[in-house]
Amino acid sequence: MSFLRRSANLIVYEWRRALAKKKFYLLVILAFVLQIGVLALFNYLFTNPPPQFPVEALLEGMKPLMWIVGALGPQNLFMPLIAIIIAGGSMSEEYEHGTADILLSKPITKLEYITGKYLGGLTLLSFVVALTTALGVILSFAFFGPQESLQFVPHLYAAIVYANLIFFSLAFMLSEVFRGSTLAMLAAIGILVASIVISSFLSIMYGLTGGQQIYMDITKLLPNWSASSFPSFLLAELVTVPTSPFLTVQSGEVFLAGAIIAVYTAVSILIAALRLVRSDVTKKAD
Amino acid sequence: MSLGLILMSEHVISVSKLTKFYGDFKALDSISFSVDKGWIYGYLGPNGAGKTTTIRTMLGLLRPDGGEVRIEGSDPNRDPVHALNGVGYAPELPNLQTFFSGEELLDFTGKIFGMPKQSRKERIGQLLELVGLKEHAKRKIGKYSKGMVQRLSVALALINDPMVLIMDEPTIGMDPEGTAHFRDLFVTLSKEGKTVFISSHLLDEVQRICTHVGMINRGKMVFSGPISQVLEAFTQQWVVEAELQEVTPKIIASLQKLDYIQNVKAEANKLVIELKEKKDLRGEISSEIFRSKGVLLSLNLHKITLEDAYLRALKGGPKE
Repeated sequence: MSFLRRSANLIVYEWRRALAKKKFYLLVILAFVLQIGVLALFNYLFTNPPPQFPVEALLEGMKPLMWIVGALGPQNLFMPLIAIIIAGGSMSEEYEHGTADILLSKPITKLEYITGKYLGGLTLLSFVVALTTALGVILSFAFFGPQESLQFVPHLYAAIVYANLIFFSLAFMLSEVFRGSTLAMLAAIGILVASIVISSFLSIMYGLTGGQQIYMDITKLLPNWSASSFPSFLLAELVTVPTSPFLTVQSGEVFLAGAIIAVYTAVSILIAALRLVRSDVTKKAD
Repeated sequence: MSLGLILMSEHVISVSKLTKFYGDFKALDSISFSVDKGWIYGYLGPNGAGKTTTIRTMLGLLRPDGGEVRIEGSDPNRDPVHALNGVGYAPELPNLQTFFSGEELLDFTGKIFGMPKQSRKERIGQLLELVGLKEHAKRKIGKYSKGMVQRLSVALALINDPMVLIMDEPTIGMDPEGTAHFRDLFVTLSKEGKTVFISSHLLDEVQRICTHVGMINRGKMVFSGPISQVLEAFTQQWVVEAELQEVTPKIIASLQKLDYIQNVKAEANKLVIELKEKKDLRGEISSEIFRSKGVLLSLNLHKITLEDAYLRALKGGPKE
């Protein structure tokens, strides 16, 4: 019980710490703008279809399911970035600012400390996902009229949160390992960008080699594949989606994506916890 | 439980053969000392001697490479919840969470200690009053001056009404009024049966309020014991300073004949008389000066100060 109470205090603390950052708000606003922009663009295409591209028929079946596109809008780039901003400074800023001394000289164990910090950041990220998901649904109603299969909104929400565990946990681990927030965030963003670039390269290779499976297999091991694919894979399992360019999935991929997320997350948390427990509480990232 | 552990647990703070390395550098070299209930223990040493390393190891922030620390019988590294529950800590030049207001940080810290809401509210009010920050309670800490942060840090250390107070240079950067205020506070806490451990450079402050001192130099414990004992241990001789209307050769010669006088030096109309024994022999000296027709204006016994003892200890003096 005491473990929960002390960890819960740190969860609230972590919210306060993260919400004090201007860059956090900037990214959330950019995510909102992106959502609005994407849905507004679709709305424009629906209402003013370009004569040379007969997209109307293609898009028409998607209209009642545009809430999925709205909710998934920020998932590929902005949500991982928000996750990195929250987690990348979570542990390291306490060392940089010397506040780790203040916290860890209190009657809390290092396990309680890391649990509170991790769950604090994660719950904040979940809150942001809740906002973007809700905004996506509301905007879809506003732009495209009545929406269908809304009973799966909670599923999509949970899937997005779960998918974001990868970059959140990687950034959290790097934050504790490097004990420098700039380095941790740059490294995490580097992993995100590198995996996007490598995925693209591997996709090209896959196409050029006539579909050699090895390229696709390597792509699936990169963190961005499961992070960006898992929510849409799960939705495609639940919702009967008309043939569309937005939701494509192969059977069984959802389990693979889910497992890869779990492995990345577990390994990251383990490394961060070992680093914290087995080393001194440093000051000024010394 | 071994006899050693039973004996160790009787002390409020017990540090035994504590060793700490930073890479190849030995920051603490098997240091041992203990602090009992009600003591004000001054921990002295030059910059880089290992004072802060000792304190951070005592709080479980650093992992010892050898030896052990016990606070109220518990190891802060293995069992921080029990070891630190009754501890208040104010670090040197504290860096506090700037996104909180003073009141919010005190409240958060009170929650960590498991204090009920009403107790927190009352305690926060008392402490803000005590450290003179009541008017700034709702201001963000990022807008506090250094002195205000230092005061808030002391309030934070007191939020849980600790039995053990560990202060690392608590009055550094504080104005003289604040320094005097906190000096009185530490004495009051000690009288309430609380244990105060202060690392400080201010030897005059330490001599004034501490009951015991520990001295560390280059990671090694030079002395630990009652303040009277440290003065005794590092006193080589007592000196009497006599101011006369006129110093004559006859007076000097007569004093030099006395068997309890080591040496007499004349400086204008003053005599610096070094005694062989650590005794107050001003009566005998004044009688001798009178017999030699001298006119005495003042006569002062110059005992060793903590500063003298400290400087001698650093040069390599006796241990406890």
